[in-house]
Amino acid sequence: MNILKFLVSVIFLIYCFSSDLKAKNLEIEITKNLRCLICQGQSVYDSDSEFANSLKILVEKKLNEGLDEKQIYAYLKNKYGDWILYDPGFSKNTYFLWLLPILMFIFGGAIILRKVILKKKKL
Amino acid sequence: MSSLIGYYSLIFGVGVSILVIFFSIKNFNDTQKLDTKVISLVFLQLLFVIISFSGLILSFVNSDFSNETVFNHSHTTKPLFYKISGTWGNHEGSLLLWLLVLTLFIFVFLLRSKNQPKQYKILTLLFQQIIIVGFFIFLIQTSNPFNHVFPVPKEGLGLNPILQDPALAIHPPILYLGYVGTSIIFSSALAAVCSNNITKIWASHIKKWVLVSWIFLTLGILLGSIWAYYELGWGGFWFWDPVENVSLMPWFALTTLLHCVLVLEKKLILTSWVVVLSIATFTLSMCGTFLVRSGILNSVHTFANDPERGLYILIFLFILIFLSFFIFLIFHKSENNNSKTFYLLSKETSILVNNWFMMYFLSVVLIGTIYPIFLEVISSQKISVGPPFFNKLILPFLIPFMLAMAIGPKLKWIKSDIEDKIYLISFFVISLILSVLIIRNLDINFLYNTILITAAFYLFFITLRDFFHRKYRNLSQITAHFSFSILILSILFNNIFSSEVITNLKINETYQAQNLKINFESIEQENKQNFKAIKGKFIVEDQSGLIEVMQPELRIYNQPNIVTSEADIKTNIFTDKFMTMNYVQNQDYFNIRYQVKPFMIWIWISTILLCLSGCLSLIRKKYEN
Repeated sequence: MNILKFLVSVIFLIYCFSSDLKAKNLEIEITKNLRCLICQGQSVYDSDSEFANSLKILVEKKLNEGLDEKQIYAYLKNKYGDWILYDPGFSKNTYFLWLLPILMFIFGGAIILRKVILKKKKL
Repeated sequence: MSSLIGYYSLIFGVGVSILVIFFSIKNFNDTQKLDTKVISLVFLQLLFVIISFSGLILSFVNSDFSNETVFNHSHTTKPLFYKISGTWGNHEGSLLLWLLVLTLFIFVFLLRSKNQPKQYKILTLLFQQIIIVGFFIFLIQTSNPFNHVFPVPKEGLGLNPILQDPALAIHPPILYLGYVGTSIIFSSALAAVCSNNITKIWASHIKKWVLVSWIFLTLGILLGSIWAYYELGWGGFWFWDPVENVSLMPWFALTTLLHCVLVLEKKLILTSWVVVLSIATFTLSMCGTFLVRSGILNSVHTFANDPERGLYILIFLFILIFLSFFIFLIFHKSENNNSKTFYLLSKETSILVNNWFMMYFLSVVLIGTIYPIFLEVISSQKISVGPPFFNKLILPFLIPFMLAMAIGPKLKWIKSDIEDKIYLISFFVISLILSVLIIRNLDINFLYNTILITAAFYLFFITLRDFFHRKYRNLSQITAHFSFSILILSILFNNIFSSEVITNLKINETYQAQNLKINFESIEQENKQNFKAIKGKFIVEDQSGLIEVMQPELRIYNQPNIVTSEADIKTNIFTDKFMTMNYVQNQDYFNIRYQVKPFMIWIWISTILLCLSGCLSLIRKKYEN
C-alpha cells in the first residue's frame, strides 16, 4: 500500500508541476504562432517591438480570462485579420495550400506503384 | 580608379562572351585544335570578372565613396574584415559574386572534363554562356556595382550591423558556390540531351558536380542557420522564413538528384527524370535569387528591394525555362523500355521512394512559400504561412521516410530480400522502448512524439550498426544517413526539452524560480571601433548548484545608428545556455531572456558530418575506378 501511496503522490506532484508548466508554455506557444505586424518576418514571441510586447500582455490577459487557444486566435484574427496567424488554418482560402502537397504525395506514390506493379504483371 | 577598371572589365567580359559563343558555334564540328583557344578565352573572361570583383573589393577597402555601392554599404570606421565582406553583403556585389562563381565553374568544368565528348563540352559551354551573358546584362543594366556619385560624399552610410558577423561574411560565397554549381548541372544536362550523351560515364561525371554543389549548399545553409541562432537574438535556428525556404528548395532537389544519379550511374534508367531534376534544381536556385532580390517576400533577410530587378530576373528565368523545355521535348529520347523494370524490394525502388518523399517535402516548401503571394495577387487577401504549416505537413512524413532510409540502403540492385530480420525487428523494439521512456513524463502529444522519436532512433541504431557490420562498403552513404538521424534527433530533443525564462531585471536584482536563480550583478560600457558595447554580467545558478557567468551585450552602432543585442552562449556537448538582454523603454529595467537548449551543438555537428559524407563520396570515386 505504501508503494501505491507513493506512486499516487508522485503522479500528483508531476501533475501539479506539469499543469504549471502548461500555463507558461501555452502563452509562448500562442505568441510563437503570431506574426509581429510591424516587424519583418518575426513572430510576436521573437520580437521585442512595442507592438509585440503589448500583444504578449494581451495574450496573457486573455488566458487569465479563461479563453482557450482557439478562442484567442479567433479573437486576434477578428481584430487584425488572417495575416497575424502563422497557422493558416483550413478555410476556403487555403484548400489548395493544404491539399496540393498531399495530392502531389498521392500522385507520386501512384507513379511508383505503377512502375512496381507493371513489372509483376509481365512476369 | 578601381571602380573604373572594374566597370570596363565587366564590359570586356561581355565582349569575351560573344567571342566564346562565336568560336564555339563556328568550330562546332571542327577538330580538336580549337579546345585550347576556347579554354583560354574562358580563362580570359574569368580574369576580367576577377579584376572587376577585385576592383569592387579595392573600392570597399579604400572606402572610395565616389562609388555608389560603397557609399550605400560602407563606412570608414568599419573594421577591414567587414569592409571586404561588405562587398558581397549587398545586391550589386552579391550579383557580381554570382557572376564570378559562374565563370569560375565553367572554367573548372572545361579543365576537369578533358575526356568528355567534344560536342557535349561545347554545348555545355554555350548554355553556360547564355546564363553568363544574362547575368552580365543584368549587372550592367539594372544593378551596376560601379555607379558614380558626384559630388563625392565624405562618409558612407554603413553596413547593417547584424550583417557584421564572421559567419555571415562567408555565408554568401559558400551558398553561392552551391547555388551556382547547379548552373553547371543545368547546362551539362541540356548539353547531354542535345548531343545524346546521357550515359553511365556522363552520370558519374556529373555526379561530382552534384556532390560539390550539394556540399556547398548544405554548408551555406548551415552557416546561415548558425548566424540566425546567435545573431538574430532569440535562440531559434530555423524559422521557415521565405528566404530560408528558398535555399532549402534547391537542397531538396539536389539531394533527390544525387540519389537519382547514383541509379543512372549503375543502371542507365530514369534518364528523363534526371534531366528534369537538373533543370528544376537550377530553376529553383534562380527563383531563389528572384524571390529574395525582388522584395516580393516579407522576410528578415530581405535587404534589397527593387521591382525592376525582379522583373528582369523573372523574364530571364522564363526564357531559360522555355528554352530548356523546348530542348527537352525536341531532343530527348526516352530510354529503352526493357530496362524500366522495378521490383518492390530493390535498391531502385528504395531510391524512388527517396525521390518521392523529397519531392513531397519540396512541394510543401514551394507551395507554402509562394501560395500566399498568389493568394494576395488573386484575391488581395493576406495570409501567413509559418512554422505550424510546415511542421504539420513535414514532420509526420518524416516517420516513414526515416524508416525507409534505414532499410533502403540494405537492399541490392534489381531484386533483393531483407536480411537480418531479427536485428531489424529488435532494433525497432529497442528504439520504441527508449522513446517511450524519454517521452513518458512529458506533457506533450505522447503518441505522435513517441513514434517520431522511435523512427529517428531506429535510423540511428541501424546506421550505427552498419558502420561495424557492413565493413565500410559504402562509408559515405552510411555516414550521410547516420548524420541525418542525429540531425533529426537533436532537432526533436531541442524542441521538446528547451526551457526558458523571460523576465525584467534591474542591476543587483535576483530572479528566483524553483530550479533557477539569475542574479543581475553589474553592467559596464566599452567603446569599440564602430560601436559602443553595454555588457551585462549575470550569475546563473541552476538546481544542481552549478554557477555560470553570462555576459550578454547590447551594441549601439554609430553608422547606421542601430542597437543590436548580442547573445551570450555557453556551449557544451549536452546543452547550450543562451542569454540575451534588451532595453525596456524609459526604465532602468532590462528585459532578460534566458534559455536552456539541449543538443544544440549536435545540430551543427551532424550537418557538418553530412557535408563530410559528401566529401567522402567525392574521394571514394577515385579508388573505386
